[in-house]
Amino acid sequence: MTALVSLEGIARTYRSGATAVVAVRPLTATVTAGDRIAITGPSGSGKSTLLHLMAGLERPSAGGVAWPGLRTAGRVPGPGEVGLVFQGPSLLPPLTAAENVALPLVIAGVALAAARARAEQAMVEVGVADIAGQLPEELSGGQAQRVAIARVVAARPRLVLADEPTGQLDHATGAHVLDVLLAAADAIDAAVVLTTHDPAVADRLTSRWTMRDGRCHLPDRPAEGRDGTDQGAVVGAGRTAASKEDLA
Amino acid sequence: MTRLWWRGLLRRRRGRLAGAVIGTATAVALLAALGMFLATSKASMTARAASGVGVDWQVQVAQGADPAQVAAAVAAEPGTIATQVVGFAATTGLSATTGGTTQTTGPGVVVGLPAGYAATFPAELRTLTGDGTGVLLAQQTAANLHAGAGDTVSIGLAGQSPVDVTVAGVVDLPQADSFFQTVGAPAGSGPTAPPDNVILLPADQFAAATAGLASTRPDLVTAQVHAARSHALPADPAAAYVAASGAAHHMDVTLAGAGQVGDNLGATLDAARSDALYAQALFLFLGTPGAVLAGLLTATLTATGATRRRRDQALLRSRGASTRALTRLAAVEAGAVAVGGGLVGLALAAVVGRIAFGAWGFGASALTWLAWTATALGVGALVAALTVLVPARRDATRTVAAGRRSVGREPRPWWLRWWLDLWLLAGAGVVLWLTRGDTYHLVLAPEGVSQLSVSYWVFAGPALLWLGSGLLTWRLADALLTRGRPVVAAAARPFAGPMADTVAASLSRQRRPVARAVVLLALALSFAASTATFNATYRQQAEVDAQLTNGGDVTVTEPPGSTVTADAAAQLAAVPGVRAAEPLLHRYAYVGSDLQDLYGVQPGSIGTAVHLQDSWFQGGSAPQLMSDLAASPDNILVSAETVKDFQLHPGDTLKLRLPDANGSLVTVPFVYAGVATEFPTAPKDSFLVANADYVAAQTHNPAVGAFLLDTGGVNQAQVADAVRATVGTGPQVTAVASTRAVIGSSLTAVDLAGLTRVELAFAVALAVAAGGLVLALALAERRRTFALASAQGASPRQLRAMVGAEAGFVAVIGGLAGAVSGWALSLMLVRVLTGVFDPPPDHLAVPWPYLATTAGITAAAILAATAGFAAWVAGRPVISEIKEL
Repeated sequence: MTALVSLEGIARTYRSGATAVVAVRPLTATVTAGDRIAITGPSGSGKSTLLHLMAGLERPSAGGVAWPGLRTAGRVPGPGEVGLVFQGPSLLPPLTAAENVALPLVIAGVALAAARARAEQAMVEVGVADIAGQLPEELSGGQAQRVAIARVVAARPRLVLADEPTGQLDHATGAHVLDVLLAAADAIDAAVVLTTHDPAVADRLTSRWTMRDGRCHLPDRPAEGRDGTDQGAVVGAGRTAASKEDLA
Repeated sequence: MTRLWWRGLLRRRRGRLAGAVIGTATAVALLAALGMFLATSKASMTARAASGVGVDWQVQVAQGADPAQVAAAVAAEPGTIATQVVGFAATTGLSATTGGTTQTTGPGVVVGLPAGYAATFPAELRTLTGDGTGVLLAQQTAANLHAGAGDTVSIGLAGQSPVDVTVAGVVDLPQADSFFQTVGAPAGSGPTAPPDNVILLPADQFAAATAGLASTRPDLVTAQVHAARSHALPADPAAAYVAASGAAHHMDVTLAGAGQVGDNLGATLDAARSDALYAQALFLFLGTPGAVLAGLLTATLTATGATRRRRDQALLRSRGASTRALTRLAAVEAGAVAVGGGLVGLALAAVVGRIAFGAWGFGASALTWLAWTATALGVGALVAALTVLVPARRDATRTVAAGRRSVGREPRPWWLRWWLDLWLLAGAGVVLWLTRGDTYHLVLAPEGVSQLSVSYWVFAGPALLWLGSGLLTWRLADALLTRGRPVVAAAARPFAGPMADTVAASLSRQRRPVARAVVLLALALSFAASTATFNATYRQQAEVDAQLTNGGDVTVTEPPGSTVTADAAAQLAAVPGVRAAEPLLHRYAYVGSDLQDLYGVQPGSIGTAVHLQDSWFQGGSAPQLMSDLAASPDNILVSAETVKDFQLHPGDTLKLRLPDANGSLVTVPFVYAGVATEFPTAPKDSFLVANADYVAAQTHNPAVGAFLLDTGGVNQAQVADAVRATVGTGPQVTAVASTRAVIGSSLTAVDLAGLTRVELAFAVALAVAAGGLVLALALAERRRTFALASAQGASPRQLRAMVGAEAGFVAVIGGLAGAVSGWALSLMLVRVLTGVFDPPPDHLAVPWPYLATTAGITAAAILAATAGFAAWVAGRPVISEIKEL
């Protein structure tokens, strides 16, 4: 399977004066096409930071991240290659829902008319066509998240990274949003990595990475590699997870 | 909770606090600095006005009263420094036989001056020839009689034998108007013209010559006690006037009919009160917009943090904080801003005042100091309350959900729906219309009335125009961002590429803060442009006034009886530093029985030495009338008063009587061709302008009265010295610089130099703040938007385009609107403050270097804010921005 993200001993430490907080301890792992990965763990365990490292939104303090299966622009994934859904509001306040959905396409250089058409189609697919003209602040939390998902759908990325996409929603709305997200990912055949502390959400995905105090425990047999890093690989085929040893 | 909140503000909202303090301090400093201008102006006005008075009191001795006793009483009045008794007698005419001809004048006045008079009252006499003692002839009389030192003049006295005296010198009487005033003239009778013929005798000679007349016609011989008074007066001209006029009234009461005080000091201070009011009006007109602008900027600076503040408040409310508690927290913040801004502003004003006006405080008295300090601090408190407390209080009453919103579909402001901008502009138009014509006076100072009035209502004109143009700018920006969105997108396309429509949409949704930034920039530029233009026009007219008084950069005035011809101009033109020398004939001409100054010019070349302004003439432009004068040498330009008095129509023949080379009057025909209201060296009342060659040919007298020298506006004093060395002691050589100092005590005495420096510096600072700071803060407040766009894959170039589009829109629309409204405001200010100008300008003086510098600095500030912010956004980790906000 095509490796989309390759993490090679990456770690992230935040420093504030003399204080250092280790958010992600050294980790080696791979995300491949078709993966459905849930990163779980308590608040502050480093889930979001790991996701941001995968998205190229943060730079690792150590190790390296690469996107072998994606187009890149400099040291980050190229426009439209990664779809992001954040925990909180992630829509640009001055743009309508439809304009937000079309934004990644416009940024990627798609002609405006074509971008609008694809945005419209994506909103229909996600079921938010009726709020296309609304501004983000006029939307409920669930609506905003569905628009964010529509934005992902419209861009048709190879990889969807969702940070607690249901974290601020009630159970029913959260379940609906997750349905929409996974259905959309299936529709565009994208790998999905999401973070959650909700076991029910994690159960909806085929693989689970567990984080605690910055250390990521991969499925089956989390093993410590020769270089002292957590090592593992997740193979997308058959939506199954395998350890580094299995791969070896 | 208050302490906790306050500590949080100091730790996490330092920028917001600092912005509000700086904005408030700017408003306070500007007002306080202008207050210093007002206080120092008023203080110097009293001193300058009093120093220009030749004789403080002219006490008219009543018929039958003993002048010596009146003099003693005046001397005994507290504040009197010196007294002299001056005699006045009427003469039926003077005659002199010189060069084989006899000249006779009409009635005149014989003055008896005591010894030492010139030393006691030095401003009254200016010696032209002789040593200033003995029998003296007034300059015009000497010209009429063709008499000078050594000649004998016969004084005609009613019913008496003429008295012959030998002239010892010729003098000028610079303050003849007040010297020969009718003391105790009924109110409204108007000033009396000084006599055409004056001869001054030593007191004993006067007594001997008029003894017979005094016994037969005592009504024709009078006496005055001239008194010099202490000028230790209150700094404020109004208070000084009250003190001086009160003393004069007391003197009148003390004299109990033995004499009546002609209060020249009081009259001069009366006029100085007008100057003080003009200074006050200038303070109001030029200073208030700056203070308002500083307040608006402060409001904008605090408004850029409104979203965060609302969220902070919403969080507090969701955790149980009451509206009252939130208001208390806001009051603490506002109080800190008021105190901090007030103290910083006063300190800044003190430094500015020291640099610009040479003063640390507000005038002389402690009361003035206290009043101004309290006013400035009060304004600071008002600004802080309006910009911090009021918005916070308003937000505290909104719902929590509404408080969390940063962008929404807000209804159009009520004033947009009600077209308030156009109503305000219409109001400004009405004020402008009301100030047309001759009936409008900004400061009305009726003679003899202690109460002055200022037409403060005209302040509404510029105020309405300024506010109206600001709101109209908002309307235009709003319209452009809504209905004109495709235009904005098209304009942004070269920079933003495919993002142009998204950028235009983003701008459209944020049109309120964008329009606010545009309006602030427009108002700041408008303030800078109008203030600078007004001040430049004021300086231009002060220079014109000095030029009109002096004639040229340097003027060489030939003594009476001089026979120097225009050929001497070549010698003067050769003096280093002289670019052109222009001869100017000067004659006294009779228009009917009215004696007027006549100036003979060389119309083809007068423009090389003097810039003739169109506003000095009626019936054509200056070049056109000079051209006509060259083509038709018998043309003549006369005063409007003469046109009215003699019912003249263009083309009418006007026969004047002019002295020929021998002093005999010859009749010379002229053709009335136009009106001259001002002319270099000419008096403010009636005068005539004609072709010099024609006058010389008709009178067989080519003698030149003066030469006007052009030095290119530089090195006038040095050139004047060089010219003096060339022409010797006969002619009088004056430089415009010294004239400027002399006329500085007139109505245009309000010294704008310091005010100009302060205002222009503040204007630049405000424009930079309106352009750069407001934009930077507005962008910073929306950095989440840019961070999210970056998270969606926007490249640094695309982010720069988004930021740059907003900056470009603000700069272009704000700059254009500022230029237009600045120009309109300049015209309005010059119109409503027309009384400040003497003479009125015929065009605005546009200070292009200052305007270009201001525009350049503002553009640089906008560019720096944009580039800095774009670089900052591109360089910061996106996720930290998203997390933080």
